[in-house]
Order: sequence, then structure tokens, then C-alpha cells
Amino acid sequence: MGAASAAPTGGGPRRPGSFRRRDRIIGLLAVLPAFLVVVGFMAFPVAFALYISFTRTNGLTYEWRWFENYIALFNDPIVLQVFLNNITFLISVPLVIFIAVLVSVLLFERVRGWKFFRVIFFLPNVLSVAVIGLMFRNAFGFNGAVNQALGLFGVEPIQFFTNGTTAIAIIILAIVWSGFGIQSLLLLSGLTSINPAVFEAAAIDGAGWWKRLWYITLPNIRRVLGFVFIINVIYTFSALFGFVFVMTAGGPGFDTTTIDYLVYLRAFSATNLGSGAALAVLIFIFIGVLTVIQNRVFALGKED
Amino acid sequence: MAEEDVIISKRISSSWSRWPIFGVLVLVALTIVYPLYFVIISSFRPNADYLQDPFGLPGVWSLENYASLINTYGVGQAFMNSMFVSITSVVCILILASLAGYALAKLPVPGKKQMTAIFVSVMLIPGPVLIIPIYLMLARLGLVNTFAGLILVYIATGLPFATFFLTLSFRGIPDEVIEAARIDGAGFFRIMWSIIVPMGSSGLATLAVLQFLGAWNELIFAFIVVTDPSMRLLTPTLASIGERFLTDQPLVSAGLFITASIPLLLLLFASKYIMQGLQVGVSR
Repeated sequence: MGAASAAPTGGGPRRPGSFRRRDRIIGLLAVLPAFLVVVGFMAFPVAFALYISFTRTNGLTYEWRWFENYIALFNDPIVLQVFLNNITFLISVPLVIFIAVLVSVLLFERVRGWKFFRVIFFLPNVLSVAVIGLMFRNAFGFNGAVNQALGLFGVEPIQFFTNGTTAIAIIILAIVWSGFGIQSLLLLSGLTSINPAVFEAAAIDGAGWWKRLWYITLPNIRRVLGFVFIINVIYTFSALFGFVFVMTAGGPGFDTTTIDYLVYLRAFSATNLGSGAALAVLIFIFIGVLTVIQNRVFALGKED
Repeated sequence: MAEEDVIISKRISSSWSRWPIFGVLVLVALTIVYPLYFVIISSFRPNADYLQDPFGLPGVWSLENYASLINTYGVGQAFMNSMFVSITSVVCILILASLAGYALAKLPVPGKKQMTAIFVSVMLIPGPVLIIPIYLMLARLGLVNTFAGLILVYIATGLPFATFFLTLSFRGIPDEVIEAARIDGAGFFRIMWSIIVPMGSSGLATLAVLQFLGAWNELIFAFIVVTDPSMRLLTPTLASIGERFLTDQPLVSAGLFITASIPLLLLLFASKYIMQGLQVGVSR
């Protein structure tokens, strides 16, 4: 397109130049509304967040304080605790991937009704985190389904959410439940793009099902696996707000507070918005680094 | 898609060795379906009946949970608010993204590469970064506690993917068709309306469903932007009901089912479009 616009008077082979110029103006006018909204309410806010993070502010007056907010964050024991919580939540990553791989390999066998299964496994993906979160909180509540079932065996009801460890375990369960289906479908699309000849060759060589899985199937989808892995890690650091908000509100204490939930807490219950913005910027940088790593992994995968 | 299915159906076999695979898949599917079934069944019974025999079928079927949610806790109003905000956002996104998608796919827009790069890269912005600046911007514009403010947020956060998605799907429309219409004297809007929209209808439908789900299910901005009780959206209303009625499981279940009903209906009737969206999501 750049080459075409370089010769405005000569025009294309068939079209007069003025027609071409009108197209460019019309095209620009058509893109502009969407572009301005995105720049104004997506790109600008990032720059604004960066500015806020260098100030002490209540949202009305801004005092420039250089790195004061960042230094305070690095010396804040709560931030450290919350970051460690996020590390704990990473337990969900291998769990989700393990189940997703299992399900995708089984779906790849194309048993009867596999299309129906595909829709079922997609189901959690259309539900709000508010719905999924509350469903799990209900199920593990004092007279929820889990305690009722334990009651049948004479076990006293357990307060799952007053203990940080069990509360985190239940949030992880919700993450796994809501995430494995879509990821198994992603992996399935990776599996379908493997050249079937590879499997036939292996079958002729007499490789059994497990051998094929380990030596052929999994290595062939390692790029999709890598992608799913990074997506999960990013999710763990930036998108647990909904679950934490409806299930535990970060408690008991800060035991289940995640870093993105802390941004919200700092923003709306503290006097200095700069601190929350600085934390958000740190998340952004962290995720940016992960994305770069992901791109590297992709590039490596493409070479061989 | 269709081609792939043909190849696959050849490989479907019903031999007995496949039953274990089928069995495991059924078990996994049950872990998804059973909790939802439990929620739906519980929502149609009084709390006392639930506590007596939670796992059996209700001894008493009743709609009282739904009635009290709608009459006492404003869930009906919240449902309408969510519907209004979601539909308005989707319509605006479809209009803006169709215009931009057509231009980026078919017209010689100056700076096309840079704009496409911006649309793609803002998709990577994590949600938490936007909360504080967007709230402050809306406050400055006087849009806090208005539907307009929330709709603006949904449009802005939905547009990057929508534009990217429609650019890809409009690229598949043959140039010759557009060229022929143009020679017949069709202007920009005429081409948009009588060629691009009908020929890209499948992509537009997919996008509409995905964006609607996104807006309907959104929680954070719905919670912080609109705080007036009569203007509350469904997800924040549900969250506060869940917080207040810890011991009344059937009541909360009814709220869950109301919130989940629209997405479930969409999945039931538009799964084709949702699955198509998934394919593009992968290539992203």
C-alpha cells in the first residue's frame, strides 16, 4: 500500500489519481473513529497511569514525587506477601495444562459425540467470573454441596474460607475448572494441524499409543503448549480480580489477595492513587517481559 | 472447517476399544455439567427444602427465589440495565469496527501499518493498568455513574480485537465484487451496506456474540463505574447478593442462573459462531 501512495499523480494502472486520493481520504475517515476511541481510552490511559505512578495524588491534585511510590512498594511487606500469593496461584498452571492435554488427546481420538463434548468443554468460557466464582464459593460454603456431602459421612462442616491455604486451593480449583476446556480446544487445534503422515509412519513402525503420545504428539504441539503456558502465567498475574473479589475479597487478611486485586484495593480504599498506579505499571512491565519471552519461544519453534 | 470435519468423520470409529476414551470424556464433561445442574435445581427450591436433602430432587418446586430476587433485590432492573449496556456497546462496536475493518482490509489508508500495529498492541494491555486512569478520566468527563461512561469503556476495550477480527474476515471478500459495484457507481456507504455487511455477515455475527458475552460478563468496570443502586448491572448485583446471603444457597443459585441464562442460551443457539471466534482467537 505504501508503494501505491508514493505515486499520487501517476495513479494505478487503471484508476485516475484523484479517485485514488479520494479513497485514501474516505479510508482514513472510516478508520479514524475507532482509532481515536482506542487511542483515547486504551493507549492514553497507559501513559496517564505511568504519569500517576510518579505522583502522590488523590485524583484531584497531583504532586510529582519521582520514584517515591515505586520505592515504597519495594519496601512494602504486603506487596511481597501478595506477590508470593501470586506465585502460589501458579500451581494452577501445570494442573490446567495437564488436564487440557489429557482432554485434547482424548478428543483427538474422535470418539462418537466429540463435537458435543467440544461444546460442553467450552461452556465455562461463556460464563462470567462472577458466576463461576460464586458457584465455587457456594459449593464450598458452610452449608454448601461439599459440606453437605461430607456430612453424609459424618464429617463436621469445614470453614474453607477462613483459612488462607484452603481458600487459595478453592480459587485454584475454580481457575482449573474454568480454564481447562478452552485450552484443550486450543491444543486440539494444534493437534489437528499435525501432518497425519507422521502418525501413520509411527503406526507402521509399530509404536504404541503411549509412545506416539510422548514422542510424536506432544513434541509436535510444543509451540501451542508454550503459548498456553505463557497465557496461563499472564492470567495468574493479571486476571484473578474477579475470582478473588467474589470469593474471598482478598481475605482472610491478605492471604488470598493477588497483585491485580491489590491494585484495586490501593486505588479505591487508599488516599494515594499513585501507589496503585505504580503497582499496575509494574504488572504491565512484568507481563511485557513475559510476552517478549513468549515471542522468543515462538520464533525458536518456527526455525526447526 | 467443513473440509476438516469430513476428514475427521472418516476417522470416527465405534470399535469397543474406544469405550474407555468415551468414558473418561463423559466423566470430565460431568465435572462441568453437574455443578451447573446442581445450581439450577437448587434455585427452584426453598432453602429449608434444600437443607433437608441437597442432592435429591426438590420436594417442593417453587419460583420464590426468583420472585424475591426480582421484587426485593432489584435483579430485574439489573438485568435490564445489563441488557441495555451490553446491546448498546455491541452495536457501537460493530459499527465502528466494520468501518475501520473495511478500510484497513480494502482501502489505501495512509499510515495503515502503524494503525494496525496500535490496534494489535493495545490488545496486550492488562486490565489492571486501565482501572485507575480510566476511572479518573471518566470522573473528569462527568461520566462516572452513567451508562454512557461504562458503554464508552466497553467500546474502547472491545474495539481493538473487533477491528482486528473484522479486518481479517473482510479481507476474504473478493476485490472484484467491490470493484464491480464501484464501476456501477456505488459509493462508500452503499458498498458497506450492500456488499461488505452481507458478505461478512458470518464474521459480524461471531463478533456480535463474543462482544456481547464480554460486556454481559464484565465485572470490574461495571462495579466501579456505576455505583447508583438503581443503575447497577447484573454482575455486581450478583456479587453483592452472594456476599449478603451466605447461608441461603438456593437464593444465590437463582441469581447465578439468571446471570448465566443469557450466555447459556447464546451457547445453545449460536455455538457455531462462538466456535468460529475461537479459531481466530487462536491465530491471535
